[in-house]
Amino acid sequence: MAELQGLGAQLSEAERAGVEIVAVSPDPNEHSQKLAEGLRLGYRFVADRDLAVTRRYGLVHAGGGPDGQDVPRPATVVLDRDGVVRWFSVSRNFQVRPDPDDVLRAVRAL
Amino acid sequence: MMTSGRLAVLSSGVAIGAIAAYALLIRVAIVRNHPEGYVIAAALGTALAALAVVRARVRRWPAWLALGLASLLLVGGAWFNFVLARIPDTPTTLRVGERPPDFTLPDAAGRPVSLAGYRGKKPVVLVFYRGYW
Repeated sequence: MAELQGLGAQLSEAERAGVEIVAVSPDPNEHSQKLAEGLRLGYRFVADRDLAVTRRYGLVHAGGGPDGQDVPRPATVVLDRDGVVRWFSVSRNFQVRPDPDDVLRAVRAL
Repeated sequence: MMTSGRLAVLSSGVAIGAIAAYALLIRVAIVRNHPEGYVIAAALGTALAALAVVRARVRRWPAWLALGLASLLLVGGAWFNFVLARIPDTPTTLRVGERPPDFTLPDAAGRPVSLAGYRGKKPVVLVFYRGYW
């Protein structure tokens, strides 16, 4: 959540209006959505409960969860208006997220 | 010239302080994204403790204690950061210049969100995350 807040906070009103941020996780709860709406951050939280989509993207960390379950690898992808990947970052260490500045630069370069 | 005792205290302060700072400031992106910082600080603490041991004259145990503590934090911190926290490289299907797989997934209200629906309308930032911290 903190990284999403960081990202949203750095985009200007106009930029936020012009970009859709879609957050994919196996279990986003209504709490996340309400929090984002309360902060007027304009995120769509979508649920990939069985990790089918995450798997198709090759972003599953097998057995990486606290109970040994499969979890997503943290990743950020910037798509242009034609739906083409222009930049992406996949984390190699679950403590580390893509630098919000890098994401911002990628979005502004579209 | 710092005494052995003071070096021992300084060493422990640096090593423990670094790990405490990481834990407390973990929501700050620049801290979280550079976990090697606490490893470097623990290495510094270990070096200071080693210096304390060398300089110890009368009471040696504080220096040895500090060295033991700093080494433990260094090994533990390095193990966590470089081994436990590592995500094995898996081949992602993402390629710059290509379209990623399309999908339709439900949002928090149950409404379907389709990636292809944004084509021709808006750029999209897709964030895959674990759903819990």
